Amino acid sequence: MLGPSSRFHATLALVGSLLGLLFASYSTMDYAEHLDRGLHDVHCSFIPGAPPTSEAEACRAAMYSPYSAFFRESMWGGVPISLFALGAFAFFGGFALYLWLSRERAPKLALGFFAGVGITPLLVSLVMLTISITKLGHLCKTCVGIYISSLLLAVGAVTGLFTLKGEARPRLAFFFPLGWLAALGVTTLVPAVVYASSVPDERPYLGKCGALKQPKMSVGAPLKIHGSRAIQPVMLFEDPLCPTCRAFHERLLDEGVFERLDVELVMFPLDSECNWMLDTPLHPGACIVSKAVLCGGDRTRQVLEWAYDEQVYLTRAGKAGKDVLRAAIKQRWGGDLLKCVDDRKTDVLLNQHLHFASDNAIPVSTPQMYLGSKRVCDEDTDMGLRFMLANLAPEVLK
Amino acid sequence: MTAAGAQPTPPGPAGGMSALAGWLGASGVVALLTLATISVRMWVSSATDRLEHPGEKPKVAIADQAEVAYCTPRFKEVLERVLHSCGLAQDETRRGCKPADVKTFASISDSDFNELFTPLKDRGAVILFDEGMQDLDDGAKKLLEDKWFERKGARYFFVVARASKTGNQAKNNALSHRRANSVMYHLTSVANDPEIDKKVGLLWLGNEFAQLSKDYCSWPTSRPNEKCDEEAINRSAFVSWVDCRL
Repeated sequence: MLGPSSRFHATLALVGSLLGLLFASYSTMDYAEHLDRGLHDVHCSFIPGAPPTSEAEACRAAMYSPYSAFFRESMWGGVPISLFALGAFAFFGGFALYLWLSRERAPKLALGFFAGVGITPLLVSLVMLTISITKLGHLCKTCVGIYISSLLLAVGAVTGLFTLKGEARPRLAFFFPLGWLAALGVTTLVPAVVYASSVPDERPYLGKCGALKQPKMSVGAPLKIHGSRAIQPVMLFEDPLCPTCRAFHERLLDEGVFERLDVELVMFPLDSECNWMLDTPLHPGACIVSKAVLCGGDRTRQVLEWAYDEQVYLTRAGKAGKDVLRAAIKQRWGGDLLKCVDDRKTDVLLNQHLHFASDNAIPVSTPQMYLGSKRVCDEDTDMGLRFMLANLAPEVLK
Repeated sequence: MTAAGAQPTPPGPAGGMSALAGWLGASGVVALLTLATISVRMWVSSATDRLEHPGEKPKVAIADQAEVAYCTPRFKEVLERVLHSCGLAQDETRRGCKPADVKTFASISDSDFNELFTPLKDRGAVILFDEGMQDLDDGAKKLLEDKWFERKGARYFFVVARASKTGNQAKNNALSHRRANSVMYHLTSVANDPEIDKKVGLLWLGNEFAQLSKDYCSWPTSRPNEKCDEEAINRSAFVSWVDCRL
């Protein structure tokens, strides 16, 4: 049982706040670093002080997701949610310090206020945790760091109430909590306001990443996927076994953008078995899976989304050998589709897709998105997706 | 955050401590917030600076046609001369190169010309014809289609038709021309490619330039089970994609 002069609760809250501040700083730093439109390593570890890494797909996916920031249409990348955490944890850190120093002299109202507002980061964390699990399908370690910090803070804040027994405590006027609440509001907003007022104008950089020299395929044809409310023609170069393509596809779905697109899909597997532009296969088996997509006919979208959904398994199958992959395709889509995959005509069509890429001298990377003939920069397909669409194809967001 | 104004006022020293704690707590908030805000400002400024003054960007591979080891400068020089001169690379009406053209444009000896094609042994094939004929048999059609559809990253497809020494030069010149056309006709019928003219380079050498030696009988041919000699191997059209950027 905690005595009136115990510092346990305040210590716990202080540690939680400072850890939360640290993890929120990492998250914000990673976000801000990408404002230069470059690709950077990101922090993705439970260990405070761990350096950024390139092996951080879950954290990168969280960062690019529509749930990571506000106002993403009016500001490139939006205002990251971690900025609000930064301000809030600064307030809670200071308040916890006050309680730690006050011990048994801390007013009842202060402890009650702290218990009330100290659980709000945990509530927000629970919402974000639910989104991570249900929408993103994975947990970002830095985010988990913030969730744990929020839990420590909440436990510290609530257990403070257990110290209220015993001797009388100083009493405070009713307006103190109102003042503290206002202070919490202001501190929560300040970093976001500073960020929003200082981010660079990214509009001049949109659409400056090249263009297709020959927007129409002279031989063969791209695949067509019409969104249910298609309004904007786009051309996509994709590899069904490329994790970035899968993430991009999921982002388009999550953002409600995909249904507004009239997609011309060009298969661009990064697998040296059919793609002569690579010396070694980056995604073994991608040629066969691409052929399955080409053979999809009316089910092109379903086959593509199946490949994305089963990407981990198909990638493993691709490494195990062609027959394993072919068996997986046959099991899911039947013998007729597999027959089509093995048909020479499909080889030729895939080759025509690859030659379309080489005729247009596009970068050897996936995914790539073209609005008309204009290439959308890679960074505008992830963090800047909504901002780019708001500027270059606003009807898609309506 | 200060406890000043508390009622009733606690004893002096404790009240002073509580007020001090309040001030220290408030200072803590201000300090942490200032630190966080300055950091945010610095991170954004730094990114803005990098955006406005980008350093050297990492080189990105660009999609292009295949380029393999046998694409030596000499090989490419000859191919380029032949391609340009035979009306393939530009939209000219003239198609194909007759022996005199090849001799002139390639500026190369017979043996050196054949030597250039040696690395294409496995990539290409020799389509064989009956004596004095230009018709493709079933084996020839199949092999030709197999080779055509194994395009991979190549840009140009070469057809080098020949005739054996039998008969006079003019007749053989015309015969090798017909053989080249026969190959082209079949490719056009199976390829379904409106740009085939921009891909296929036709050369016909008659019997006056770059005759093949018997050694070429070991190359993949459309009649692997038939007797092959120097006469037979020159009643042919060598076909191959060329994996070079020109």
